[in-house]
Amino acid sequence: MSNETATRQRGSHESLFVPREARIIHTSQTTATEKHFTLQLADGSTLDYVPGQILEVGVMGYGEIPIGLASSPTRRYGFEIVVRTVGRVSTAINSKDVGDSLWIRGPLGHGFDLDALRGQNVLIVAGGIGICPTRSLIQYVADRREEFGRFVLFYGARDPMQLLFPEDRGVWRAAYGIEYHETVDRADVSWTGNVGVITTLFKTTHLEQDTRVVICGPPVMFEFVIHELDAIGIPRENIYVDLERRMKCGVGKCGHCQINDKYCCIDGPVFTYSEIQALEEAI
Amino acid sequence: MSAFYLEESDFSPFLEAVIHEKRVIGPVAKRKKFVYAPLETADDLRLDFDVTILPPKKIFFPPAQDIVRFEGSQVADCIGPIDTVLLGVHFYDVKGIDQTDLVFRECNADWNYLAQREATTIVASNIQAIAPRAFWDSVGTQVQAKGHDAFLTKVDAGYVLVTRTPKGDALIRYGNFREATTEQVESAVQINAEVMGKCPERLDYSSDEISAKVRDSFDHQKMWDELAEDCFSCGSCNTVCPTCYCFDVRDEWNLDQDSGTRTRYWDSCLTREFARITQPGGMSENFRERHSSRFRHRFMRKTTYLNDKLGGPACIGCGRCSSACTANIASPVRVITAIMEWSS
Repeated sequence: MSNETATRQRGSHESLFVPREARIIHTSQTTATEKHFTLQLADGSTLDYVPGQILEVGVMGYGEIPIGLASSPTRRYGFEIVVRTVGRVSTAINSKDVGDSLWIRGPLGHGFDLDALRGQNVLIVAGGIGICPTRSLIQYVADRREEFGRFVLFYGARDPMQLLFPEDRGVWRAAYGIEYHETVDRADVSWTGNVGVITTLFKTTHLEQDTRVVICGPPVMFEFVIHELDAIGIPRENIYVDLERRMKCGVGKCGHCQINDKYCCIDGPVFTYSEIQALEEAI
Repeated sequence: MSAFYLEESDFSPFLEAVIHEKRVIGPVAKRKKFVYAPLETADDLRLDFDVTILPPKKIFFPPAQDIVRFEGSQVADCIGPIDTVLLGVHFYDVKGIDQTDLVFRECNADWNYLAQREATTIVASNIQAIAPRAFWDSVGTQVQAKGHDAFLTKVDAGYVLVTRTPKGDALIRYGNFREATTEQVESAVQINAEVMGKCPERLDYSSDEISAKVRDSFDHQKMWDELAEDCFSCGSCNTVCPTCYCFDVRDEWNLDQDSGTRTRYWDSCLTREFARITQPGGMSENFRERHSSRFRHRFMRKTTYLNDKLGGPACIGCGRCSSACTANIASPVRVITAIMEWSS
C-alpha cells in the first residue's frame, strides 16, 4: 500500500509517470555486465522504502526499467541499485557515471513483510542477479540483527566471475550471526568453495521447519528450491518469492506483468508462495 | 434523473450550439464504417451507426498518449484535458468505459486518463443499427451501464434525452428542450427494449457458467492449441477491444536531440514480445511463449480473471474483435461456445 500513500501525498491529480531526478554519487563496475550505483534524490529528500520494493529507473529519451532496490532503508546515505547491461535502457543507464542523473519513480510495489519475518529464523536463497533485491533485506537483517532469529544466507551464481558484492561477501562470511554459504555452478581454477547448483547448499546446514524463507533468482531456480523446502517441511505460507516480470508502468496499469488477476508490480514483486502456487504461469 | 424532449428540427441547432462552445466527439462515417471523431458540423453526426472501428475509450486513452515531456533536466506531465461532449455511445460501449474508468482509477489513480474522463460529458444513444458480429444482448447481462451523463433516444418525431447527472443536465440550456411527456418517455423505453434479443450472434451461457468452465479449462492444452491454431499473434483483437487497456511506453527525442516525450501506446498481449524479458547473453525468458498461451491469456482476462473486480466479464459483446481478426478465430462467441461444449 505504500505506493498508494506516496501518490496521495503528491497531490490527488498528479501524474503517476513523472520521474524524480536522482544523482549518481558512486558507481562500481561489479562484473563485466553489472554496474552498481549509489544514488541520492536531487531535491535532497530521503527515499523511504521497504526491502524488496522496486524502482522504475530510466534515462530520459531511452525509457525506464524496473529494478529492485539493492540497499537497506536502515542506511540513510542514499540508495543503491545494480543494473545489468542487457538491452537499450540498461545500456543507457550503465553509460552514466558519478555526477550524472538517473530518473526514478517509486518505491513501487510490496516488499518483504518485515513484521512476519521479525523474531523468526530467516533463510534467504539468492541465485544470480537475485542477490541484488535480496541484498536490501540482507542489510536490513544485519543492521537489526537482534530483531531476528537465526539468519542463513545461500547465494549461488553460474561461475565465480558472476558473484556480486565481493566486499559484502567478505563481511557476510566473517560476521557473527550470519551463516553464509555460497556456490557456483561451474568453478574456475581459483575457486575453492562449493561447486553445484544452489540446492546443493541445503546439504550443508540443518534448517528448522519454522524458518521463514525468501527466494529470489532466475525462474528455473524456484521449483528446485521449493522442492528442498517441501522436504524440510517448511509451510508454503512461510516462503516468500521475489518475482521478475516485464514491466512498463510499475503502477498496475500497463498489463505486462500480469499473473492471472495479479500484477507483479503492485501485488508483488514479493509474494508468499501459498499466494501464487495455484496461479498458472506464475513460476 | 429528468426526461426532456427535443423536436427533430431542433436537434441540429442544439448540436451546433454545443459544438460552438465545446469539442463534440461522435460517430461519423468513414467510407463504409464509422469512427469517433470531432464534429465540425451537426451534419457529421451519424447516430444510425452500427459500431465504430475503435471504441470510445480512445478519447481518454488514445492509441498514442504523451505522458511525460522532457527537456534537458526538466520533466513535466502532459495532462491537459479538453472540455468535451462525447455524443452517441451505445450502452455496451458505456459498459466498456465503466471498466476502463475502474482500472485507471483503482489503486493508483491515473490522471492521464481520468482528467480527460472527468472533462467529458457522455451522452449515450439508442442502437439504431446492429453490427454484423454483435452479441451485446447475451453477455454480461447482469452488469448495467452507468458511466453516461445522459441517454438520447430517437423517437418518432424527435429525441428523448434522459439526464442522469449534473453534467447531463448542463446540456439542456443549449437546445429548445421541453419536459418529456409520459408517452414520449414510454416510447423511448419501448424502443430501447425492442432492440434487445436482435443481435446476430449469441452466447447461450451465463457469465458465471462461462467463468467457471473457462477457468477449469486452463490446462486443456490441446483445446487451446486447436482454438488458437490459426492465430497470427497480430493483436488486432486487442487493438479494437473496448476493455483492453494494456500499454507500452517508449521515449522519443525531438529533432534537437535534447528534448522529447515519453509516450504510451496501446499494446497487445497477443504479440510475442508482450511478456518477454531480456536476459544476458542474448537470452530471454518469455512467460507466454506459445501463441496458444497468449490466446488463452486473453480469454482468461475477458471471461474470468477480472470478473470479481468488474462484477461481470471483461467483454461487452460489441463484436469488434470478431470482425477485426485476420484469421477469423477471435470471436468470443465461437471460442466460448467451443470451450463450453468441449469434452476432453
